[in-house]
Amino acid sequence: MSKEKNSLSELFRMVFGKHWPVWVGGILLGLLNILLFAIKSPWGASGGITNLGDNLFSLFGMFSDKVVTPVSQNNYGMLVVLIVLGSFAGALFSKEFALRVPPKGEMIKGLLGGALMAVGATVGIGCSIGSFFSGVPALSGGALIFTFAMFVGVILSLKYLIWEMERFPKWSTGKSYTFLAAAPEKGKWQIIAGIIVLLGVILLAYSYTDTNPVMSWFIIIASLMGLISQRSRFCIVKSFRDPFMSGESHGTVGVIAGLLVSLVGFTVIKYFTIGDISEVSQRARELTWVFPNFWGKALLGGFIFGLGMTIAGGCAVGTLWRVGEGQIKLWFSLLGLVIFSPLSNSYIVPFVDGLLPQGAKFRAYLPDYIGYDGAFFLILLILIGWYAFVKWNERTGRFSAF
Amino acid sequence: MEIKMTLDCKGLSCPMPMMKIAKAMKELKSGEVLEVLGTDPGTKTDLPSWCEKSGNELVESSDLDGGINRFVLRKG
Repeated sequence: MSKEKNSLSELFRMVFGKHWPVWVGGILLGLLNILLFAIKSPWGASGGITNLGDNLFSLFGMFSDKVVTPVSQNNYGMLVVLIVLGSFAGALFSKEFALRVPPKGEMIKGLLGGALMAVGATVGIGCSIGSFFSGVPALSGGALIFTFAMFVGVILSLKYLIWEMERFPKWSTGKSYTFLAAAPEKGKWQIIAGIIVLLGVILLAYSYTDTNPVMSWFIIIASLMGLISQRSRFCIVKSFRDPFMSGESHGTVGVIAGLLVSLVGFTVIKYFTIGDISEVSQRARELTWVFPNFWGKALLGGFIFGLGMTIAGGCAVGTLWRVGEGQIKLWFSLLGLVIFSPLSNSYIVPFVDGLLPQGAKFRAYLPDYIGYDGAFFLILLILIGWYAFVKWNERTGRFSAF
Repeated sequence: MEIKMTLDCKGLSCPMPMMKIAKAMKELKSGEVLEVLGTDPGTKTDLPSWCEKSGNELVESSDLDGGINRFVLRKG
């Protein structure tokens, strides 16, 4: 019995004792993303965040003419909540949970970054997940434009952060507080709390099995995604930013690994029209996660989103799992996302749509232009080129700020 | 070992601790020592690989009470 107990302790230490390599997280997230697509549709965050915002405004009687689906009935709303809970469980099991209150300036930057991400995601129809981590493997032309624009936004925003740190260092210094941290060699309560959260998630998933099995699986997969992201510190903004900041490439390699896995899975699902097509046509299955954002909306939205996620210090998923870990700056970032997504949908998106001609906001499905093989190899080539660049840059430091 | 500078990164999240550490190291001379106090778990992973890449030495990494991580770095 004690041998089994030792083996289990060893497994627990392996999973929660140290952070995982980002590429492990990337591959696992890519696989789970394929499962989501097979069950219903790929991973996305901004739609769920907007649903949370709509429910919040509805609670206060605002935008009363809008029909709002309760979070508990919205797959993507629940996906967002469960990613936070999954990360919370991961942080508790690894005794890394603590409420970390940063200096005031950082909280303002979190809120501002979240608001910019909300505008970027609603204008661009998708965030760093929907229009990048899922959009690129979905063979969407708009996702490629969104990615390019997000990259430009990140570089500019990083330059701003460096300038701010040099010129106004006090904005990121000042009083900070930490609550509920586990002391070294102690903090068993965090593991017990983690078990309670895990049991709660299992019960929640079980409660949907009769009425909505898709939701049950969304709950399970989302909580795993939160846990995996927290353990591997998977973050899209890190993958774009770090090569130009510290020169590190491991965050980028992790994201590329996830994209590669998803690319293979998504292409197979689309090519063979795998999954439930009773509700949607074969063509609709092909066009899943190919949003009408090519090229203008993707360009503008991606750029604003890139600015926002760098200032916030977390992309869509990076914000969610850091919320679960207790990083208060990212709580403000999530607040910005939740409040400004419905506002942007109501006021900014119609304005942008009015400005852009129809030719700047259509669905561009790459296989329609260059075939499945052409689309697959184009994306593969971009990923290989990106990998080669970050590795070369890591070695030479040619484009790194530090 | 004489600590030349102490950097307080408590409460800060990614990327601020790494940015501040890199800036502080620029201000030190070779062989001088920087102490960093932080609370972002990510620094534990990011710092060793950055030190290796930048030619600096991570002399010590320890966990203190209150969720604080302490790092001691020597400029290479």
